Amino acid sequence: MKTKVTKIERNKPEMVEIHCYSVSDEVNEILAFVKSRQGQLTGVSDDNMYEIALSDIFYIESVENKVFLYTKDNVYETKYKLYELEELLKSKRFLRISKSTVVNLMKIDSIKPALNSRFTAELFSGEQIVITRKYVPDLKKALKGE
Amino acid sequence: MTFKRYFLMQLQIYFLLVSLIFAVSMVLGVIFSPNEPVYYSQFRGPFILAGLCVLPSFVTYYKDEPSVQEYIIRHFIQLVMIEAIVLFMIEPPENVSIMLFRVLVGISVFIIYVITKAMIMLQKYKESIKLTKQLKEMQLKEV
Repeated sequence: MKTKVTKIERNKPEMVEIHCYSVSDEVNEILAFVKSRQGQLTGVSDDNMYEIALSDIFYIESVENKVFLYTKDNVYETKYKLYELEELLKSKRFLRISKSTVVNLMKIDSIKPALNSRFTAELFSGEQIVITRKYVPDLKKALKGE
Repeated sequence: MTFKRYFLMQLQIYFLLVSLIFAVSMVLGVIFSPNEPVYYSQFRGPFILAGLCVLPSFVTYYKDEPSVQEYIIRHFIQLVMIEAIVLFMIEPPENVSIMLFRVLVGISVFIIYVITKAMIMLQKYKESIKLTKQLKEMQLKEV
């Protein structure tokens, strides 16, 4: 496989693009590596352990003292506590939006109003999660880059 | 929600109510007593009435976040209290049937209440559009 590195201007997004005949194991390996460079978390699903790239996580939810990582198609349990993940992922554009949820801001498609000073975040996966009013000021600050 | 924030929200609703009560007074006045003179002292009516309408909101003040069901029940209680206060406060004109007047005032209060809530919702809708725009800008920067 040939490799090519092109320098781009600051206003353009950095990107790794793979041109291949088919998505082979080798290609998946390269993709996994690129994703892992952006950070990852360990999660358990069906008794199997997985390394999940942060960029694949849509949101993290705490349910009955268990913490789950939600990707587009899967749910993984993690050993971390929600407040630990909140602290750990603060700099990675993850934000607490309710007592039980931390969301990946990069995965929110739109924000809509809901009853009682709340907002709803519609994710790129189509799922909707509630932003409770207590966390709305934090969201505003995060979006302003404060 | 802190009491300070709740108070400021109610203040906003108060001034919205003053405007709407003025509008409804004008409509009802034109229907029932179009030739009756209006004195300056009567202008304080909407201010007092709006104040009395906002008072029940403080009865339903909640620090903790209620569920959607609780939210609806609290607003229903609020509306019933406002209706009761307004109907108790306003005397019908002499030449108008009491029943008809009370029904019209009741409907007017309901309409004002719905418009107030709709305007607050519209404000939130605008806020959500602004937040979505900021979010998109942030996502573009990050990519």
